[in-house]
Amino acid sequence: MNTTFSDIWQEIRYFYFNAPLAIQIAMVFIVIAVSATVIAYLVILRSRYRSYRRTKQLQKLLPKIDDLLINEILANPDIPQDVHPSKIDLPLAPFESLPLQKRWARVAMTERIIHFRSNVKGNAGALLRNLYLQLDLDKDAARRLKSPRWDNKVRALSEYVSLELPISDVTLLPLANSRNRELRAAARQAYIKLSKNEPFKFFDSVTDPLLPWDQVELFRIITTTEDIAIPNFARWITYSTNKSVIAFCLKLVVHYNQIAAVPAIIKLLDNRDHYLRGDAINALGKLRVKEAEDKLVQLYNTQPMFCQVEILKALGRTNSGKYVDFLRNEFTHATEFDLRKAAARSIARNSGRAREVMEELLATTTGQDLLILKHCMNPLIKY
Amino acid sequence: MSKILLVEDDEVMPKIISRILPEPEYQVDIAVNGKEAMQKLEANNYQYDLIITDIMMPYANGFEILSKVKSHDREKPIPVIIVSNAGNEDMIMEGFKLGVDDFLKKPIIPAELIIRVKRLLMKR
Amino acid sequence: MVGVIFQNIVFVYGLAMILVYAVLAILSNIGVRLFKKRSRFTDYSLLLDSPLTPGISVIAPAFNEGVTIISNVRSLLTLNYTKFEVIIVNDGSTDDTLEKLIHEFQLVEVEFAYNERIITRPVKRIFKSTNIAYEKLLVIDKVNGKSKADASNAGINAAAFPYFLCTDVDCILEKDTLLRMIHPFMAEQQQQTKEVGEPCPECGFVHVEEDSMRVIASGATLRIVNSSEVDEGVMVRERPPSRYLPRFQEMEYIRAYVLGKMGWSMINAVPNVSGGLGLFDKDVAIKAGGYDHQSFAEDMDIVTRMCGYMLDNKLKYSIRYIPTTQCWTEGPPNMKIFSRQRTRWGRGLAEIVTIHRNLIFNPRYKRLGMIVLPYSLFFEFLAPIVEALGIIFYIYLILTNQVNWEYAKILLIFIYLYSIMITTLAICWDQLTYPYYRTAREVVGLSLMALLEPIFYHPLIVFFALRGYFYFLIGKKTSWGNMQRQGFRPKQTT
Repeated sequence: MNTTFSDIWQEIRYFYFNAPLAIQIAMVFIVIAVSATVIAYLVILRSRYRSYRRTKQLQKLLPKIDDLLINEILANPDIPQDVHPSKIDLPLAPFESLPLQKRWARVAMTERIIHFRSNVKGNAGALLRNLYLQLDLDKDAARRLKSPRWDNKVRALSEYVSLELPISDVTLLPLANSRNRELRAAARQAYIKLSKNEPFKFFDSVTDPLLPWDQVELFRIITTTEDIAIPNFARWITYSTNKSVIAFCLKLVVHYNQIAAVPAIIKLLDNRDHYLRGDAINALGKLRVKEAEDKLVQLYNTQPMFCQVEILKALGRTNSGKYVDFLRNEFTHATEFDLRKAAARSIARNSGRAREVMEELLATTTGQDLLILKHCMNPLIKY
Repeated sequence: MSKILLVEDDEVMPKIISRILPEPEYQVDIAVNGKEAMQKLEANNYQYDLIITDIMMPYANGFEILSKVKSHDREKPIPVIIVSNAGNEDMIMEGFKLGVDDFLKKPIIPAELIIRVKRLLMKR
Repeated sequence: MVGVIFQNIVFVYGLAMILVYAVLAILSNIGVRLFKKRSRFTDYSLLLDSPLTPGISVIAPAFNEGVTIISNVRSLLTLNYTKFEVIIVNDGSTDDTLEKLIHEFQLVEVEFAYNERIITRPVKRIFKSTNIAYEKLLVIDKVNGKSKADASNAGINAAAFPYFLCTDVDCILEKDTLLRMIHPFMAEQQQQTKEVGEPCPECGFVHVEEDSMRVIASGATLRIVNSSEVDEGVMVRERPPSRYLPRFQEMEYIRAYVLGKMGWSMINAVPNVSGGLGLFDKDVAIKAGGYDHQSFAEDMDIVTRMCGYMLDNKLKYSIRYIPTTQCWTEGPPNMKIFSRQRTRWGRGLAEIVTIHRNLIFNPRYKRLGMIVLPYSLFFEFLAPIVEALGIIFYIYLILTNQVNWEYAKILLIFIYLYSIMITTLAICWDQLTYPYYRTAREVVGLSLMALLEPIFYHPLIVFFALRGYFYFLIGKKTSWGNMQRQGFRPKQTT
């Protein structure tokens, strides 16, 4: 046997060294291709086997976890209702039946607790958090936070945030300045959610733009954290040099209906950045600041199109009736479809004298303009 | 005994709700998607005292179920509670326009759900 | 002499192609792994109750889809997203598509301010539902424009939101499609504005321009639905197609998306976004002129023009792909329809490289001009021609008895094994993304098709592509016709 193999090997070698370059390359690649294909098959089979085994294990484990969580924690009559949930010693003995010495089981348990907490809050949510701590599940997160891999750190941070585990500023601040953008974003969220002293401090220092996705995540964190002191966002609207922070603060002002921030927003109307100005106009409209109408109308002619659309929309939202004639004028004279539509919508949204104007316009316009009016009046059409 | 139809495609919520609304006082029927919900409604001839539904589900969303339920018996419609993790202003408006009786956002407080369920059942 | 030169050209060409595929395989692997890492901590459902969620218009043209229209529209309406609308464009169906829609969803004709920014065949009527539960639905009834492009354009004109998802009404979409596909638009780095020029004499402000990397489109993997079980527009059980022709296509799709597009996405050089599923920035799409209803490859055409528009205006852009499968589409089940489809693709490709020839190797068009289009020209357009010429040349060599059979065998084995490797790697990356299919047997069954592909499937593709080029040259008028729907196999209860 051995001799034949080595014979073949010799022959291949001989063939290889006497072949032209193209054939040599081809021969090398044949070896690479065969090994890569074999490896790919092995990887496929391995990953399938793993996910198959994991699914099987979870199918057995999850119903057990669910039963335990519901029977022992959420609906356990022995758990006192008048004591603060974090002070209760939970019955841990039943949980010993779970294979929590295994890491995959701990991960599953943690994910399940988080999943439960996305369904129930209040007392029940606090009890689940307490269970997580008493089962020492936070040790995994702590270890992951120290991992050199950024994605592990981010996972750990999101676990900290969703279970509201305290974390020291000393650990968090270096991460908030990390070179990895996703890690930075996660650290900021954790900072807002978990920092005791000044949750919004990083608004002062952040220089890179907050991406729309970051803003969605931050918005959720800020608006769902219960014991957070909401500052007056006018501070950043006035002083921040980071445009994305200003734009984000405008959205927060609207959400919290912070009328105190209005003067700062009005000042923003003189800003050079069209996008920021557009956001400011939008915020004024949503806050229904009637006092800003004069200024908006006065600015109107010098604005780019999308700011003009925002101004027309804002006049519909503030709904003072003062500028109905202005809106009518824009509707009849503007050449851009979007402007006419925005003006018509705002007339339709205004009450009082706007009704008469609307009647009059409906009687006098024809063609596409009439369609626009009817479109805006139709309750079936939302946009 | 009050008969409740719970429509929810997540597996955890039904477990929690059927536990906090226990038999024999309540009988909770579970449908895991819009189609099953419609089938159960038809099969039971709309004989439910209350419907708790999520919004986003396969086949038919909660609003469709809501509109179907409310238009089935306009005189004395079955009360409907929406329990959903999607709850921006537009959706809440849409729900109330369709006549939903209560709109709870996940995560819920179990005790609150019990009170709201009791209140709606009492009115009926 | 000519023979030697030709041999060398083919050799260099082949080597370049092999290298490109190797690079794509590596890049896509990095992309898939990065995507997996990210999705472990990205909570897409955040968008469901955020006021910052961008709106999306889902546009689905329908032509004579009466059999399945109701369940398919219902399935689009139950996508997991909050701020979206579903626009069904009835492209002059001659069956009962529209009547069924009107009846099922309680539609009434409305006076709708339709802004025809892209010229299409006339829109006859627009419908909305009187039932608030269907308030997301908008139905457009237009005169048949003989192309999907024309119908999609009408949908774009009526769309209310800044993004639109272009799909087919018979495509089966995953519920989280919108959540996942909008994510690249929101998480692209480098968002900033820059100030340009002197203060404007009119307003006194220094004008500010966007200098962000703007995502203009995103796409995801498509698969073939043919043998899967679908119940009322909801995927119940996915399976590789049982018949050989669609099964080859499934393999080809996985390779094209998971390995090809994903790899290009990593260096921001995606050549096109599938017509079956793509999310676009509406503003840019309209400014680029919308879909070209005369094009035979309108999906690649619009992407090329959108990129061209961005580059002409010195704006930074990107197109991103995600590796997860979000859409199942019906692949041509028989040779007749398949040949028509591929001939059309070939013709479309020939069209693209001719229409946009000024951009090729034009350094002003950066990646588009230096990478994307040259790649399309050399490795997609020319490949069938080179292959055909190569075969003819080989036959000539055989006839004149000039072949070194030893070497020829090695080269052939090499090409054969390399193509198998690439396909297997693609399926491997796909499996790493998510364990698609229920059993490992199904995966292996699909992977083994790679052994047959170079012998049975590939020659077909080459032949149909060449036929497409030929039709393009002589300008033959072909009617695309509509694909015959097989209808989905009803869910079996066992």
